[in-house]
Amino acid sequence: MTAIADLRETLTTVLGPAGVISDPVELRTYECDGLAGYRVVPSLVLLPTTTAEVAAVVRACHRAKVPFVARGAGTGLSGGALPVAEGVVISLQRMRALVEVDPANHRAVVQPGVTNLAISRAVASHDLYYAPDPSSQQVCTIGGNVAENSGGAHCLKYGFTTNHVLALETVLPDGSVVWLGGPSPEVAGPDLRGLMVGSEGTLGIVTGVVVRLLRKPEAVHTLLADFPSIEQAGNTVTDIIGAGIVPAAMEIMDQLAIEASEAAVGAGYTLETPAALVIELDGPADECGELFEAVQELCHRNGTTKIRVAADDAERARIWTGRKAAFAAVGRISPQYFVQDGVVPRTRLAEALGTIAAMGAEAGLRVANVFHAGDGNLHPLVLYDDARGEHERAEKLSKAIAELCVDLGGSLSGEHGIGTDKACSMPVMFGEDDLATMDRVRRAFDPDGLCNPGKVLPTPRLCGEKPGPYRPHPLEADGVIERL
Amino acid sequence: MSSSVSDRTSTGELPTVRPTDLAQARDAMRDAARAGHRVLVRGAGTAQSWGAPVEPVDVVVDTTGLDRLVAYNPADMTVAVGAGMTMADLQDRLKGQRVALDAARIPAGATVGGLLATGDGGPLRASYGTLRDLVIGITVVLADGTVARSGGHVIKNVAGYDLTKLFAGSLGSFGLVAEVVLRVHPRPEASRTLAVPCPVTAAVPVAGVVLSSPLEPVAVDWHDGRLLVRFEGTAAGAATRAEKARELLGRGEVLGGDSEEAAWSGLAALVRGEEGRTVLRAGTRPDQLAEFAELLGSLADRHGVTAALTAGVGVGVSTVALAGGTPAGHGAVLAAWRARVLAAGGSVTVHRAAEGVLESAPAWGPAPATAPLLRAIKQQLDADHRLAPGRFAPWF
Ligand SMILES: Cc1cc2nc3c(=O)[nH]c(=O)nc-3n(C[C@H](O)[C@H](O)[C@H](O)COP(=O)(O)OP(=O)(O)OC[C@H]3O[C@@H](n4cnc5c(N)ncnc54)[C@H](O)[C@@H]3O)c2cc1C
Ligand SMILES: Cc1cc2nc3c(=O)[nH]c(=O)nc-3n(C[C@H](O)[C@H](O)[C@H](O)COP(=O)(O)OP(=O)(O)OC[C@H]3O[C@@H](n4cnc5c(N)ncnc54)[C@H](O)[C@@H]3O)c2cc1C
Repeated sequence: MTAIADLRETLTTVLGPAGVISDPVELRTYECDGLAGYRVVPSLVLLPTTTAEVAAVVRACHRAKVPFVARGAGTGLSGGALPVAEGVVISLQRMRALVEVDPANHRAVVQPGVTNLAISRAVASHDLYYAPDPSSQQVCTIGGNVAENSGGAHCLKYGFTTNHVLALETVLPDGSVVWLGGPSPEVAGPDLRGLMVGSEGTLGIVTGVVVRLLRKPEAVHTLLADFPSIEQAGNTVTDIIGAGIVPAAMEIMDQLAIEASEAAVGAGYTLETPAALVIELDGPADECGELFEAVQELCHRNGTTKIRVAADDAERARIWTGRKAAFAAVGRISPQYFVQDGVVPRTRLAEALGTIAAMGAEAGLRVANVFHAGDGNLHPLVLYDDARGEHERAEKLSKAIAELCVDLGGSLSGEHGIGTDKACSMPVMFGEDDLATMDRVRRAFDPDGLCNPGKVLPTPRLCGEKPGPYRPHPLEADGVIERL
Repeated sequence: MSSSVSDRTSTGELPTVRPTDLAQARDAMRDAARAGHRVLVRGAGTAQSWGAPVEPVDVVVDTTGLDRLVAYNPADMTVAVGAGMTMADLQDRLKGQRVALDAARIPAGATVGGLLATGDGGPLRASYGTLRDLVIGITVVLADGTVARSGGHVIKNVAGYDLTKLFAGSLGSFGLVAEVVLRVHPRPEASRTLAVPCPVTAAVPVAGVVLSSPLEPVAVDWHDGRLLVRFEGTAAGAATRAEKARELLGRGEVLGGDSEEAAWSGLAALVRGEEGRTVLRAGTRPDQLAEFAELLGSLADRHGVTAALTAGVGVGVSTVALAGGTPAGHGAVLAAWRARVLAAGGSVTVHRAAEGVLESAPAWGPAPATAPLLRAIKQQLDADHRLAPGRFAPWF
């Protein structure tokens, strides 16, 4: 504990008293992220405001051999920002300056604590936007997005964070500061910027980000189509891709998810339909209109029972509200549930959903499905009731579903990351040598193992613990953000 | 048994192993490790001139036998191939789809693994990126024979570190890329290119007009006195947008078919370069194009060299071909131009150096701030420095 006491003294000199939190009650605010099942109270929380201060903090931790965890908005759903006991949390919340908006070069330079949506808002007057759009975008930070390689409903067409970041100012685990990447996508030598993206805060702390901005599309078309079965909705998605059309988004909801969503927000989805498909196209007006007609034709060919085309922005927003509300809304039909985030090859969606239904039936639990159909990213919601002793069964089912995705040739995580939550499942997806190679890379950055230890790669300590049930993020409960 | 590969392309007479599957690739690397042999990984061998000359090696591992189509799932928009398959071959096998990569060297037989290891890209990089953006999974064999996989077969995947990126641009110095899983896109129905005569100094503002319009060009490059703005999409859509762009700019000619093909292949020829030329690739902030082009022109004049430049205007990636003059002249232009690009935060990579150029100007500039990190990674993945020794000297 003396290491921490020393650190507190040193860092109070560097950051000022307002930059150091050590009050036990205040520290509890940082004990978990969006995955509330894991909680660890950190020894100190530090609130630097500049890169130099972050570097000073990391150097001090490095000298004292004290582990440190970066934290953005704490909306992570895989326990990535979970503190380490006897360690410090470095919150980037005070670094929220938009350093430079550079419309001529379609880019912006921002500090890590800037929220995803703030970037698009700041450049909207230039008809530009930042494409990756996690549904937590109102609050999650660009630093957290970089760490998680976040995606959103529109990443089928536009890609993930890694495709939209040009350069990262990074404080390495020894406290040195480097830029990864450069002013253009061209880099000389191995692409360390790309390695940093998605490394979940385990290779360094990002203190500056140069993002690429896109021109807003001329036209956007959105429709909601009902289908007699999930298979037919899925086949429509296949046919659309087969026709060479890449929509901005394609999302499927099953009956249970629709029922929940309607009860909560009443977006006008058809209650009795077994499946609904939301499709959004964007692009140049003429072409987009032509393709939108082709898409409707494909819906008809696959037996759609009803198509609702958004006539204006307000109606488009309503369709999306129904989709986005599904997660929180499931709480209305089930007291508790787990959210999963696995990916299957899109062509195996029907098989995956069939198996999940059978697994649910066998476990005696209901599973609602809401998913990014275009890229096979499932978010099954395993509903249960603790009072009826279903917790453990539900937890097992949820984990089994993630591992089923891997068996079907997919991935353990599509957008939420591995963090603390899924580290123990990593050996299902990767072999010993794969994991050892990732560990070698990690050691090149962080030989002392101080930078967000215990995340991503399995450790015996971690794998002895159990995740908790879904709990709404406080901002979710307040209706500020939604889970997609 | 070391023999020199100092001419950097003719590695043919060295002992060569040509694995035809992953197990053989692993054995080749493991055998080399046991014997303490230094290894050069080679694909089609057409980009062995990238970076610094490799020191003498004991064995070449030729990847061209790893040319199997492992899995193609059109409906998933993914394809998995051996890293030695040529990109041209792969494109031929895709039905109504493509790997959205148009690096200049593809027609010459560049392999998928070689293209990833060089981090190469063509004009389409403005909308699709380079292979680093299109590869969703890799299997590599490290120097000690360890076979490691990263990523997977689905386009959305955030499980574990994205090692693909580390191998993009690694020029064979971190390991052998044995298998690659790529994301494919629909092949567009049609394309049109608007060619607008304009000096390079006006390329950025002229391109800006189109880039800030909603016309969504897929590539905007300046080459040989013209801005080439390419549109892809439906037959009607591509033509309409090219025409709209022409109206917006008030001039230019819409090219299709052979004339369009010729415009872009002229650009590719410059990028590929030829014997006796020095070819450089630079990354800068896009709006610095005029400044760097002018500087290049005056440096070339001063040193009696001709300099041709082509640039991806919207992304800030330029390729320069130096010809004529003396090797020392090429070296002087390279050194002075690079110094200014680096001072502005950019980068310059040598893709080809005319004979004798590297005697006066090193292939790599001063070590970047990331050099200690690159060295640490090299140490972890190839502790004995047996792979492509010298390729990144003096960085690591
Ligand atoms: C309601 C809801 C909806 C969501 N929807 C989506 C979605 O659609 N798509 C999606 O991808 N995710 C989604 N998420 C998950 C989450 O919002 C994202 O992963 C987001 O990127 C996390 O950002 P954050 O600022 O909250 O990071 P945190 O949770 O604070 O941290 C996440 C990880 O990033 C690291 N980190 C944070 N800042 C830095 C930094 N500056 N440098 C280095 N490492 C850092 C942390 O150590 C941690 O490992 C959702 C979450 C919620 C609660
Ligand atoms: C007519 C023509 C001539 C050309 N001549 C040249 C030329 O002289 N100089 C030039 O710079 N470019 C040249 N090119 C461009 C070259 O073809 C491309 O740049 C391409 O990337 C090379 O791919 P490759 O398979 O030939 O790779 P190689 O040249 O075999 O390798 C390129 C680099 O990648 C590494 N590498 C290759 N495969 C793997 C793998 N599987 N795993 C790990 N590392 C790997 C190698 O070690 C090397 O560092 C030419 C192109 C054309 C059309």
